[in-house]
Amino acid sequence: MSLYDVIFYLFALVTLVSAFMVVTTKNIVHAAFYLLFTFFGVAGIYALLGADFIAVVQLMVYVGGILVLILFGVMLTNKITNVQIRSGSTNLVAAAVVIGIFAGALLTMMLNTRWLVNPGKTLITTIPQIGSLLVKQYVLIFELLGILLLIALVGAASIARKEEREK
Amino acid sequence: MNQSTFLQILPFIILSAGIVVAILVEIFTTKGKALLPAFFSVLFLANSLLSLAQINVSSNLYQMLALGGKAAFFNFIFSIGALIAVMSSVNYVKKYGANFGEYYILLASSVLGMMLMAGALDLFVVFLGLEVMSINFYILAGINRKKKTANEASLKYFLLGAFATGFVVYGIGLIYGSAGNTNLNFIINNFTRLLKMPLFVIGLGLFFVGFSFKIAAFPFHMWVPDVYQGAATSVTGLMSTIGKAAAFSVLIFAISPVTFNGAEHIFRPYFATLAILSTLYASIVAIAQTNLKRMLAYSSIVHAGYMSIGLAAGNVYSVAGIIFYLAAYTFMNLGAFGVIAIVEDENDGKTDLKAFAGLHKKNPMLAGFMALFMFALAGIPPLAGFFGKYYVFVGAIKQNLLYLALVGITASLISVYFYLRVVVYMYFKDEEEDFEIKTDYPGMFAVLVSGIFVLIFGVFPSILMKLITSVLR
Amino acid sequence: MIHVSLTHYLVVSAFLFSFGLYGVVTRKNAVMVLMGIELILNSANINFVAFSKFGNYGLNGQIMALFVIILAAAEAAIALAIVLNIYKTFAHVDVDKINNLKE
Repeated sequence: MSLYDVIFYLFALVTLVSAFMVVTTKNIVHAAFYLLFTFFGVAGIYALLGADFIAVVQLMVYVGGILVLILFGVMLTNKITNVQIRSGSTNLVAAAVVIGIFAGALLTMMLNTRWLVNPGKTLITTIPQIGSLLVKQYVLIFELLGILLLIALVGAASIARKEEREK
Repeated sequence: MNQSTFLQILPFIILSAGIVVAILVEIFTTKGKALLPAFFSVLFLANSLLSLAQINVSSNLYQMLALGGKAAFFNFIFSIGALIAVMSSVNYVKKYGANFGEYYILLASSVLGMMLMAGALDLFVVFLGLEVMSINFYILAGINRKKKTANEASLKYFLLGAFATGFVVYGIGLIYGSAGNTNLNFIINNFTRLLKMPLFVIGLGLFFVGFSFKIAAFPFHMWVPDVYQGAATSVTGLMSTIGKAAAFSVLIFAISPVTFNGAEHIFRPYFATLAILSTLYASIVAIAQTNLKRMLAYSSIVHAGYMSIGLAAGNVYSVAGIIFYLAAYTFMNLGAFGVIAIVEDENDGKTDLKAFAGLHKKNPMLAGFMALFMFALAGIPPLAGFFGKYYVFVGAIKQNLLYLALVGITASLISVYFYLRVVVYMYFKDEEEDFEIKTDYPGMFAVLVSGIFVLIFGVFPSILMKLITSVLR
Repeated sequence: MIHVSLTHYLVVSAFLFSFGLYGVVTRKNAVMVLMGIELILNSANINFVAFSKFGNYGLNGQIMALFVIILAAAEAAIALAIVLNIYKTFAHVDVDKINNLKE
């Protein structure tokens, strides 16, 4: 077992154990903190796959942005009601069985598919290539993403803002 | 990029630039609320004419976006539908307490998402278009922030919608992994080879499941009644018609060439099940509804079921039938929601059947249009709805799927009951609630335009059918 | 133990997807459901990046992962705005308790 394998198993373990805790823990604040470790583990997996830029973006956007948003949501909503939010769950067994069957089927197929494995050589850094793809092949999507983010900003502000004074 | 390509992407440029300009107008002037409806009406009208003019020229942009042909036809439907929705919103949002400038901005950007979906040649673009459309709908559903039902609709729609997006993304991931490419043409050309990989089939299956949420077919319909009832009526009209058309445009164009390659047997059971369950279940449940918006929500599930019959058949006739049906359904449903938007009072009042009792005496014109839309939705000849169903069912029979056509006919017989009940209430019952209906010009104009289209498509279906067959080739 | 290959990454992704699915189906709290959805999106991203590397398909997989991350951020912003607004009007975020709409 090489060092690469050891690191992979480490990150996979961190990701899966914390993800399991996210969906099973009763305390919403704990769930949010376990989510931090999941995102971190996934970032590690990206790095192992040679996707350095994606790994950094994962850390910055997910851990630094989305997770903070979620924590804000948890805390603000907590303060308003002054009660500990305990999230109940229903139909646990039924859901677990159905999803277990689905996961089993998915895993069997993944293990039995003979993938056309042809690893490309790992680049020292992927940033120049990603940059040029973004402004060449995917320029249309890149521009439209700009509009999407603008709209998301307008929409979020529109829902969450204070009441307008009637003139 | 030559001049004709430029002309063809002009609708996209106009709309995107319009959105940005509208945001600036909203920020820097106080007249935004008054200006924006007119601004976007003109814009949508220009877009619809441009798309109609480009319908016979087809090309593509960077292998990402199809221009002209089918995409232009869908863009035409989207633009006209959005124009009607804007018209019926003008007065409605004032009543509803949601007269914000950003309402129109979000509405316009949802249309941009639909146009991307209809023209997508790459799974990336499908996904992006879907998200642009959905994110706007999540916000639009809850545009009246003070009303509880609207908030509830917004949250439910968001959670189910984001969940469906998760399925779509995971599906695209598996498709990308097995095909090595996300280009739709590539996938379609190599379809027979790819079908031998089980994960490709699972990926496509997850992709379809995600879109089944968006078209509101039966097992994935649980959000529909609540969201359609809680959201603003004009927004419900928008998402139940052209929003659904956009989701179907992806299903049609991603699936129809696929099924021509002799692979239809793989997904036929899936779409057939969707069709049978949606039509029968929703048409029976709709009978019990007394709220008109909720009834139309179930009716929209029934219609998604009829269109799924076309997907299950998957031949040229049924695909043309689905497109015809989508165009017809857009106008009948937008018209019906337009009438409700005029009658509706603040705080969800006057959306019950009772409010429509004796409408004939109060406002004969409105009652006449509502009756027209109800007859069209019920599929009574010679109105647009009848021919939509007819073409889809004929497609199913040609594919030896007689049982699907029979299920569809049974469901349409059941649904005649709840559509005609509205007409009976309007014409043969005395009014139960004494209130005055305040009509407004833009709202009536929206109803009028929808009514004209329903009549034209019903009396001269061959005009539309010729156009559709020409874009399908 | 065998050398880490594409299948290993796919298995991690499949498990993550199933956990996310489980979270979405069983949770009632809107923020918790959102966390489940984030897990699903992350699992899809692992697939994209893994296929991109092992299939030698170029970097499109990574680009797609980038897009998904951006969209997840936009969705999270919208979600929090909606949840906050719900709090203003309802004072709780349990999906099952929010049930004003009835036939």
